[in-house]
Amino acid sequence: MSYGDDENGGFAVAGSFPKGFGYGPDDTETEQPADSPEDKPRILLMGLRRSGKSSIQKVVFHKVSPNETLFLESTNKIVKDDISNSSFVQFQVWDIPGQIDFFDPTFDSDMIFGGCGALIFVIDAQDDYIEALARLQMAVTRAYKINPNIKFEVFIHKVDGLSDDNKIETQRDIHQRSTDDLAEAGMETVHLSFHLTSIYDHSIFEAFSKVVQKLIPQLPTLENLLNILISNSGIEKAFLFDVMSKIYIATDSSPVDMQCYELCCDMIDVVMDMSSIYGARDDGAFDGNSSSIIKLNTNNVLYMREVNRHLALVCILREDSFDRQGLIDYNFMCFKKAIQQVFDVRKQVASTNNSDGRAAMATSHNLLHHNGSVEGAAS
Amino acid sequence: MNAIISLCHFCEVHGPKILFCTQTLRPQEPGDSEGDENGAVSAAPRERVASLSERLKSVSLAQGCASTTGESTSTTNIASASHASVPKVIPKVLCEGCKSVKTGYVSHDEEAHLSYISTQQPHIPQIFTRMRQACIRSLSCEVCPGQEGPIFYGDDQNGNVLSHTFHIPDIQARGRQRLYSIVVFMMDRIYLLNSWPFLVPQLQTTIEILRKKAQKVMDEEVDKMPQAVNRTSSLEPRNFLKKKGVNNKPARSLEELTGDKDIFKMLHVAFVWTLKACGSRLTETLLEGPPTEDSIIDMENQEETEEGFIKINTKKILEEARPSSTPAEDLQSPTSQSDSYHNTFRKVPLTDTETEAEGAAASEPIPEEEKPPIRILRHVMKMLGNEKFRILTQHVVIGDQIIVCCPDKDLVRSFFNALKVLLPRGCCSIIYHSDFYEESWKCNFLGQKPDTVLPDHLVSAERFLLVEIVPLSEQTFNSLDSDLSDMDEDFKSYEFRIINPVPLSERMPTVLAKMHLALRNENLTEKVAEQFFVCLKEEWMNKVKVLFKFTKAGGGRSEDETLKLLQVVGAREEDKPLLKFWMTGLSVQYRTHILASSKQR
Repeated sequence: MSYGDDENGGFAVAGSFPKGFGYGPDDTETEQPADSPEDKPRILLMGLRRSGKSSIQKVVFHKVSPNETLFLESTNKIVKDDISNSSFVQFQVWDIPGQIDFFDPTFDSDMIFGGCGALIFVIDAQDDYIEALARLQMAVTRAYKINPNIKFEVFIHKVDGLSDDNKIETQRDIHQRSTDDLAEAGMETVHLSFHLTSIYDHSIFEAFSKVVQKLIPQLPTLENLLNILISNSGIEKAFLFDVMSKIYIATDSSPVDMQCYELCCDMIDVVMDMSSIYGARDDGAFDGNSSSIIKLNTNNVLYMREVNRHLALVCILREDSFDRQGLIDYNFMCFKKAIQQVFDVRKQVASTNNSDGRAAMATSHNLLHHNGSVEGAAS
Repeated sequence: MNAIISLCHFCEVHGPKILFCTQTLRPQEPGDSEGDENGAVSAAPRERVASLSERLKSVSLAQGCASTTGESTSTTNIASASHASVPKVIPKVLCEGCKSVKTGYVSHDEEAHLSYISTQQPHIPQIFTRMRQACIRSLSCEVCPGQEGPIFYGDDQNGNVLSHTFHIPDIQARGRQRLYSIVVFMMDRIYLLNSWPFLVPQLQTTIEILRKKAQKVMDEEVDKMPQAVNRTSSLEPRNFLKKKGVNNKPARSLEELTGDKDIFKMLHVAFVWTLKACGSRLTETLLEGPPTEDSIIDMENQEETEEGFIKINTKKILEEARPSSTPAEDLQSPTSQSDSYHNTFRKVPLTDTETEAEGAAASEPIPEEEKPPIRILRHVMKMLGNEKFRILTQHVVIGDQIIVCCPDKDLVRSFFNALKVLLPRGCCSIIYHSDFYEESWKCNFLGQKPDTVLPDHLVSAERFLLVEIVPLSEQTFNSLDSDLSDMDEDFKSYEFRIINPVPLSERMPTVLAKMHLALRNENLTEKVAEQFFVCLKEEWMNKVKVLFKFTKAGGGRSEDETLKLLQVVGAREEDKPLLKFWMTGLSVQYRTHILASSKQR
């Protein structure tokens, strides 16, 4: 499987050639050479060949229909995707071909894994995963040695073909084996997160959301803001979405119901499609002032408000809570302002996450005060 | 051409792999390629084939492959000569897609005494490593705009690569196509890039052939099972899952993809032709700079002696007394017999110029025990001390006659040989030993016996420098030994007295100052210092040439103009006598050329 046992001379590693070359037609090509690693953490997609890495990348970031992924060619080189839609969501996704062992001395593994924020290891749940687990263990141990700050995520992929019982059983088995393997290698301290994923439903977006959230330092602040917002506005569940990828970068602290998430994703799709068909501009009329309300026959309301061009707040609330839409709108304005302040702080002191957090907390108190007074006036 | 062409493939299972690799091989032993035309294998090539195949890494025996015959090359299957001698080592289990030929093909170019061998992988480990790197980079690292097409990459350490990636249709492959590349590997970057206009169309032709064949096969397969084409209609995830087991069969070989059993034979022929044609397309010539003035003079002298009037055993004559009346040395009339006579004298030091710095004296037929201590100019410098050395060398470079009085002829000879490097070859005429005084227009280095009387007119008028070398005591002679370690001891055994009636200008000529610096710089080895001298001399000879042309070609020049010119060439007042003297050392060729061209005006 691996090659290069007898190769000694190093050569330029995949990531080291001039940026101008681009990475094929579907690359965003917005890489800036001056990007520092902490500005754009990398998410590596690894796994055996045919485990579905490229499909994940295509479906999540390029809106490729899951059926079309069957016709993808095998990936022969590292494919990089640059996700820099908003100030929060900025990262690169590197799709690493499963045929090539990038821990080989031929490659500059320090360069690949050094600036890496998260390593997603994709395991094909429908295949025999014994070999994949061996690779997982190897990848984790070596990558950990190079960069101990990497977050390790295991996607148990293609679970759409498994029955529910089977899913649970497979996850349990993979969890058991991989942690045993790591313990054997003396890496008990390394924490692996497991996600059951499939590109045919929203599980891949949810799993990716959780991965991305770990790379956002402002996550606690954002969650706190959302908590304040829903408690003061009678909202049941709120997600802050990255619109392009349908990854949610934050949600309130109540547990995420998969169906709610799917509903919200679908709503984004609907709104996006509508705006691109009927929008005045060519690139879709989706901007900071867009909003949308969908009333469901289950007495629930889906309410979507834009925070900026790339971020949207999607909430689910009871129809009767929606009576006071003005209040919700006002609270949303406060929330939007607070998020803007978090952005500004980030811009001012991009290097220190500490001060980031403090400033954001201050704004959230501000918000609370406003909400309180408004709530009081309304009731 | 010293290149390797190989076909690489990105295997679905194994990643980038070298499939097929054609390289030139120069037989070690010359003359083993007589006979053997038309593909009939004669004894000699068979042996060669056998020795080749022993080195081959690929193992199992091919089943007697028919030999194809190129124009001047004959293709034979190596396997025919390789039995049992090859150890049965299978390195890795390869799938069909990663395999090409089991042993390989070889073609002999009888005219050029070359062999072209094609194997799956290069059998020399170093080449294999580099080729594999080239292959990985070609398929998995380098990005070609548009995914197909030629790119160039590489460095001088790992070799330079011209890589052409392309897809071959395969209905069973993911994405319905498979990625291949043809890689031309070469250490010589300039050559490779210059061959680009030739190589790329060649490779594209080959690729087009492969693609057409594969397209045909694919079209046939589509006709056979049309459901494979519109898989989209039956594309439920469930269907796909069921199919998966079937789909998972190993990748097909290139032979199967193109429907041509002899596809690798064709590739072999194509690659061999490319290598051969590309090699004869560009030939490398080592371009040397124009000859130095010294070597032109050498050549002129060479011709003169080869036209040669009298072949004299020059060494003998040098040891003996010269005929008293040697005709004038005049470079501009080289045809007179007596002059060639004279030139033979000069030729002695000329012929051993190569060894000049290392041991001009050592190459002389001097008995070992009498070997003089002076071999290079640094020795002279040590012996004389800085001040005396400065005076001596300054006289040398401005052309004053150096008369050395010394009883030891060998010492004088080595002394002159060492000093010689200060001057352009055309400027030094040496008489190693003479019983009489020789006029300064005959020679600027003159060796004499201590008691020779200098004529009055010389003492009164001529510019000269008299060096008396007096051995200090008798016993030091016995300890004479050319070992560098006790060189200093040897130097002390002589006393150098310098008598110069002519005062020198305060400042050294620029070139001499530079030479002194080089001599004092201990970091420079003898070789380097020697080369530095050559360069300096050449630099200044060029200035001399300019000046020569200026004075001869233009007619009357005013003092002002001359001064300006000197300023332009970077010469100062103190360089004037040197330039004037060195002008006499210009080659005949140059003089006649300048004079002729100036007359035409």
